[in-house]
Amino acid sequence: MQSDTVIALEGVSRTYGAGPTAVRAADGIDISFRRGSWTAVMGPSGSGKSTLLHCAAGLERVDAGRVMLGDTDITTLDDDELSQLRRTRIGFVFQSFNLVGALTAEQNVALPLRLAGRRPPRAEVRNALAAVGLGERAGHRPRELSGGQQQRVAIARAMVTRPEVLFADEPTGALDTGAARDVLRLLRASADNGQTIVMVTHDPAAAARADAVVFLRDGRIVDRLAGADVRAVADRLVALEA
Amino acid sequence: MLRLSWAGFRERWTLFAGAVLTVCLGVALVQSSLLLLVSASTTSAPAGAGALARMSFDASTEAAVALLGVTLGFAALLAVFIISSTFAFTVEQRRRELALLRLVGGARRQIRRLLLAEATLLGLVGSALGVPVGVALMGVQTWLLHRLGFVPDGFSGQWRLWIVAVSVGTGVVLAVVGVSLAARRAARVRPLDALRDTGEATRVMTTARLLTGLLFLAGAVTLIGLSPVGGAVGGQAMAMNVSVCAAIALTLLGPSLVPAVARLIPARAAGVLGGLATANLRDDRRRTASTAAPVIVLVGLVLGQASASSSFTAAGQLEQQRRISADLVIDAPGPTGDRVTTTPGVASASTEVEVPIALTTGSGDLAYTRSATALLVDPAGYGRTHPGAGDLTALRQGAVVAGPGADGFSPGDTVGVRVGDQDLGSLPVVAAVPQAIGGGATVLLPAGVVPAEQLADVPSHTFVQLLPDVSRQQAVSTLTEVGTVSDLDSWLERDSVARTATSTGVLIMVMGLGGLYALIGVINSVVVAGATRPREFAAVRVTGFTRGQVVRAAVLESIMVAFAGLLLGLLAAAGTLIGVIATTAAVAGTVTVDVPWLLVGAVVVGTVLVTAVTSALTTRAATRQPPVALLGARQ
Ligand SMILES: Nc1ncnc2c1ncn2[C@@H]1O[C@H](COP(=O)(O)OP(=O)(O)OP(=O)(O)O)[C@@H](O)[C@H]1O
Ligand SMILES: [Mg+2]
Repeated sequence: MQSDTVIALEGVSRTYGAGPTAVRAADGIDISFRRGSWTAVMGPSGSGKSTLLHCAAGLERVDAGRVMLGDTDITTLDDDELSQLRRTRIGFVFQSFNLVGALTAEQNVALPLRLAGRRPPRAEVRNALAAVGLGERAGHRPRELSGGQQQRVAIARAMVTRPEVLFADEPTGALDTGAARDVLRLLRASADNGQTIVMVTHDPAAAARADAVVFLRDGRIVDRLAGADVRAVADRLVALEA
Repeated sequence: MLRLSWAGFRERWTLFAGAVLTVCLGVALVQSSLLLLVSASTTSAPAGAGALARMSFDASTEAAVALLGVTLGFAALLAVFIISSTFAFTVEQRRRELALLRLVGGARRQIRRLLLAEATLLGLVGSALGVPVGVALMGVQTWLLHRLGFVPDGFSGQWRLWIVAVSVGTGVVLAVVGVSLAARRAARVRPLDALRDTGEATRVMTTARLLTGLLFLAGAVTLIGLSPVGGAVGGQAMAMNVSVCAAIALTLLGPSLVPAVARLIPARAAGVLGGLATANLRDDRRRTASTAAPVIVLVGLVLGQASASSSFTAAGQLEQQRRISADLVIDAPGPTGDRVTTTPGVASASTEVEVPIALTTGSGDLAYTRSATALLVDPAGYGRTHPGAGDLTALRQGAVVAGPGADGFSPGDTVGVRVGDQDLGSLPVVAAVPQAIGGGATVLLPAGVVPAEQLADVPSHTFVQLLPDVSRQQAVSTLTEVGTVSDLDSWLERDSVARTATSTGVLIMVMGLGGLYALIGVINSVVVAGATRPREFAAVRVTGFTRGQVVRAAVLESIMVAFAGLLLGLLAAAGTLIGVIATTAAVAGTVTVDVPWLLVGAVVVGTVLVTAVTSALTTRAATRQPPVALLGARQ
């Protein structure tokens, strides 16, 4: 394994159900992500993108293969160790923002740190919010924020622990073009600062902001483009879906 | 973590208020019953009372202790049941929120600790409120006890300081126990379940729950099977407990049963609203079952106990009617002596005086003395008015006969009898009259053993048989000088009501207060179920439903769930009726069933009404905000 590889999937397979209705959502996936890289994952609906992300993050059990985060094979970890992983080395952002409705933006961001038993200084949390451009919205609850703002709170929450990898599943899927652009700009800036990002998306424009794009079909990686523009990504996707 | 809890408190206060309310009332009910029980068992007769009066006092407090024991048992059962199911329900309703915590790195242990800390806090708050409410409730219960004549004048419930510890302990322990099982399950939730409703989240029926449910069901069936061989007393107790077991069993099996039963309701007829309501109650089986649970308990317990009690009263009355052969009954103070027998037209008469006694059964180390009653009779007269009593010629001075309410001894045994301060010593049991469903005196004694002057104002009743061709009216007018004359049927009716006063008292004390508590459980579960659904309602509204339609669909859904609960509750109550049929057939020879239809109707209509109104109010509250406001915030 190369020393600058942060996370690597080795022969990862995952089948849902059994018998004739079984779905092979991940079928022997081999892929590694370098430190500071931003990789977009694309493919037709049902091709296994979310499954890949969930397996890589230890949210979903794998049937075969290993997931190496640094020197740790996370498929062998027990639930407590995985929980700890989630609040230290891994961050998530989802299409539905998954904020706790009862908590303010600030409290949501502080949540992983508090779960880790830390009492984060106010400044640390405020800085994380300021980094996503929401410094003055700290006291607002999710329902008082726009969709784009909620997603930025979610990103701040995922990043506040300085995770080794940030996983994002269609982070712009529920946002309009303007809000999506803000989120992508944020991700670009983090990647440039050395943050490793793995992002599932349907949007060729979003994928084109990443360093590389991998294409999935039927649970298998079928292609990979590096530094492609929107046009090239869109064409490749259309070809896949045909 | 506690900050999170606090934020959660404010956000879902209805959920937590409901939990606090159940703890508060449960603690109050248990506390009041326990204090009264302790007070009753430590009171003693006022100084200066005569020996027989003291004995009456003891007998009456002993009855009160028994009654309060049952009340306490039921209160504890209801408290355990309603508190634990409410707390479990509040945890289930927060499954998604908890999965979210897991998603951002919460360990299982942390989720469990959070929930247990919350339960402790809610338990503390609930018991703190429950203690003063319990004091007020004790006033109500004492008043009831006086009204029902269960306690002597001057009795009052006494406050004890230690009760605070007991009450708070009860509240906290029940809350924590209720939560701990649910917390274990909730902590097992996989983080991914925050993103969708699959896997563990939709599994409602656990093996443990299924097995416990089946165990209680087997218990109910066994009780039905044993009730005909339990004798008059045992059979009645077993029959009454059938509905308790059955209600618990059906509640535990609820997640499987309730949706299936609700499916029987033809909701399709109600159009698109009915369709939505049915889909909803099938979709969230856990919510459906939790809402139906208190209805099952309420209906099963109240109607089961009430119909058993009224059936046994009716059976007791019928039985007496068959066994006693008399034309008139005279109630008089003290024995009537030969004033009745010398009245022209009277063929024969049997005067009976019931006195309290201390009865000792067993001997040596096993000797056990308790309050009981003896019927002072003239054996020959008793035999004539009770043709089925058997041969009582052996009943003379120095012997006893096992009475209709005898329990724990039989002919051939020896029992010790003390009447007032007069010890009659050890007496052989020489015969037994048939046991009666309505109970009665424990032993029969010959009239002469208690000096007449001691009995001067003890109430007596005299069964009178008239000569065939005598004017009844004339006899009545002559006998009125002796005492109050009634015909047999109306006298028996009064007597059987008095005899079953204990079970009626249990019914009023336990079912009245307990039923109210269960009703609050019903309201609570509807509130909890509705409080967590604003987003769901909002989603329905943006697809084109008006607010009114959403409310109507939710009300329809609640009514269907209430109906399913009612049906299952009635099934549990029916279990008790089977026990009643078996017991009355075995003990009295004929089946007697008396269902209090008015009460059944009131409970059914009341439950549906309460559920519908609560559901309408909570749904209105949950849809107050415009739907976009709710859908905008993605959790
Ligand atoms: N929990 C599950 N149980 C059963 N089948 C599942 C489960 N999760 C995913 N699948 C199936 O696995 C396949 C891959 O699903 P996945 O969610 O990974 O697709 P995706 O590429 O993310 O699709 P989309 O772009 O629509 O989000 C699909 O056929 C899906 O039906
Ligand atoms: Mg997906």
